[in-house]
Amino acid sequence: MADFDAIVVGSGMSGGMSAKELTERGLKVLVLERGPEIIPERDYTDNLTPWEKPNLDSVAQDEIAEHYPRQYGGVAYAIKESTKHFWVKDSEHPYEEAEGTTYDWLRGYHTAGRSIMWSRQTYRLSDLDFGANAREGHAIDWPIRYADIEPWYNKVETFVGISGSAEGLPHLPDSVFQPAFELTDAEKALKASVESSFPERNVIPARIAHLTDATEEQKSLGRSNCQVRNHCHQGCSFKAYFSSLNATLPAAERTGNLTMVHNAIVESIEYDAASNRVSGVRVIDAETNEKRTYTAKVIFLNASTIASAMILLQSKSETFPNGLANHSDQVGRNLMDHVSGANATGYLSGFDNKTTFGRRPSGGIYIPRYANLNGQDKPYRRGFGFQGGATSVGNAGGQIPGIGRAFKEAHRLPSAWRIGIGAFGEQLSNPDNRVTLHPSKRDKWGNPLALFNVKYGENEYKMLEEASKDAVAMLEAAGCTQITATPVNLTKPGNRIHEMGSARMGRDRETSVLNGWCQAHDVPNLFITDGSFMTSAACQNPSLTYMAFSARAANYAADLIEQGVI
Amino acid sequence: MKTRREFIQGLILSVGGAATLSACGDNAPAVTATAPHNPGRFYSGDEMALVSRVSDLIIPRTETPGALDVNVAGYLDGLMSDWASAETQRAHRAALARLRADLDSAVGVPFERAAQDAAEEALAELDARAFEIDQSMDGYRRFKGWITQAYFATEGGAVQELKWVALPGRWDPSVDITPA
Repeated sequence: MADFDAIVVGSGMSGGMSAKELTERGLKVLVLERGPEIIPERDYTDNLTPWEKPNLDSVAQDEIAEHYPRQYGGVAYAIKESTKHFWVKDSEHPYEEAEGTTYDWLRGYHTAGRSIMWSRQTYRLSDLDFGANAREGHAIDWPIRYADIEPWYNKVETFVGISGSAEGLPHLPDSVFQPAFELTDAEKALKASVESSFPERNVIPARIAHLTDATEEQKSLGRSNCQVRNHCHQGCSFKAYFSSLNATLPAAERTGNLTMVHNAIVESIEYDAASNRVSGVRVIDAETNEKRTYTAKVIFLNASTIASAMILLQSKSETFPNGLANHSDQVGRNLMDHVSGANATGYLSGFDNKTTFGRRPSGGIYIPRYANLNGQDKPYRRGFGFQGGATSVGNAGGQIPGIGRAFKEAHRLPSAWRIGIGAFGEQLSNPDNRVTLHPSKRDKWGNPLALFNVKYGENEYKMLEEASKDAVAMLEAAGCTQITATPVNLTKPGNRIHEMGSARMGRDRETSVLNGWCQAHDVPNLFITDGSFMTSAACQNPSLTYMAFSARAANYAADLIEQGVI
Repeated sequence: MKTRREFIQGLILSVGGAATLSACGDNAPAVTATAPHNPGRFYSGDEMALVSRVSDLIIPRTETPGALDVNVAGYLDGLMSDWASAETQRAHRAALARLRADLDSAVGVPFERAAQDAAEEALAELDARAFEIDQSMDGYRRFKGWITQAYFATEGGAVQELKWVALPGRWDPSVDITPA
């Protein structure tokens, strides 16, 4: 008799959704979280005023050097004294890179994982993306198409709450929207110019997971509309932006079917060769080092793209000597992220007597992919979207000339408007880009360290060079002055924090780890619904897609349990 | 449509700053929460005096509090003590020494004893040089950045001058402002 119907490993973006759907189907679910519990009333810091955060809210330089060199190097904007507890200490959670490569593994270990710290940009994939590999003969084909996942996008978005505008773009399908954050006047001017000069391009409000017209279901979970404070990196006491902690985990908890255990680091998954089923999860208590095993009928891996692959690789058996469900040898391979590093800024005149009220969270504008929409018409494959916005320069942190009254007031009064846009491009999958277990180095709990070996290919470099030119061209078309495009400098792999692909789905167990239901080809009661399943990366922020696939897989697994199949 | 003045006053009223504003006119005496010549945890007495004087010139009291009113010098003393690495501390100390030398030379007497007009003129010239010509004055620019950020991180700077609102509650992307 198993302890639980299902075990979900990880409580972040996808784990929370898996847990919600499974518990709402009446299954008894254990969620294992490797980090400590986050209690909003204690751990969110969003209600602190600027004067309640000493030292400019900066983490002491010596502390950064000792404990956060990689995390801070990747996301300095998000790691403050008031938020550092949401990020791992590199000194406690090291990793390794193959010689000649570099990787940013940026993360937090606690309830809800990175769903607390994400940037909340939320976009659907389309058949342009699901069919890309097949059209180009690259890697392997996705085993599903947009029609398979569309109802699950609808379901998830209705629950999550997405602010955005219906645009009717086939390559960026509309979500179930709550009202968008309206564009500023300068952004509207940019939109008019770009869409006039480049008819295939669109400038639309960023689609973000913030409530702007909370539904009764959302209110019933204690969530309310965004208060436009832009304190999101510190948590949200209004539960206005989506996180597992603000939404899916409370929804799971209210079913009465959820058990949650913190500080449970997965050592391995136990496999029963006789039945060809996984039977339990072996964990190490992060605080006491005590080991124990939990059993269940079905196991969902939602530990994150890197960690889920490592758990599989650590779970060796006679049947799977190279790691659980790794008959294809694809576990840990095809590691993808999005690639940035092509940015441009410029100034728009004519809006000096305009200002805004409120601090809009996350992005302002999104320029959806426009490259290679109808065949191959660019000197690179796939494409990129731009994220950005236009804001009054305003408070420049003292980095403007002048002293006295004029200098002081320059930080408050309306001034020049600056537009900035940056590309997020698709990284092509490559089986040589992979994470493996370090052959000798282990963490303090005895688990192998991650060893990354990831490099960009020629397409990413070529694409970003073109993106930079496009960015300048759009700002020129808008009439911007003082246009600046920094030399293209690709972000480190991993830096966009959109890891994908380490257990890709496909039709053939010889070349893929999962089938179209995120179910392991090799082991029918093992599902992986974090970013691991992604067969290609597209260029859209992927969290929404993880959640849609999680909901779909969870309901499929529940069906199989009901049918007695697993 | 609001005038610029109405816009600013409206924001002040919305955050309860009117009483403070009325008590803080152009001619009100300066308040020095940190005695300018007393050493801090990091700054020597002379350094504290220089930081106080320069921060007052960069962000003076107007209709709203100035750098002296909100004790920017004390804030930076804490920043250097609790946040800065030894390397940053050394660089900042060296930047202050150079700043003192440049300003003393410009006014012909110890800078703290210079008349207001002469001090303003000397610092304005140095500031212009730092932002337009002389890359070697990054230490001053960084110092100025800290002064400014510290000022706006205080309640007086954030609420009264910058009109920071804790809970906007709504997003208005287009607020018209016309000159009064």
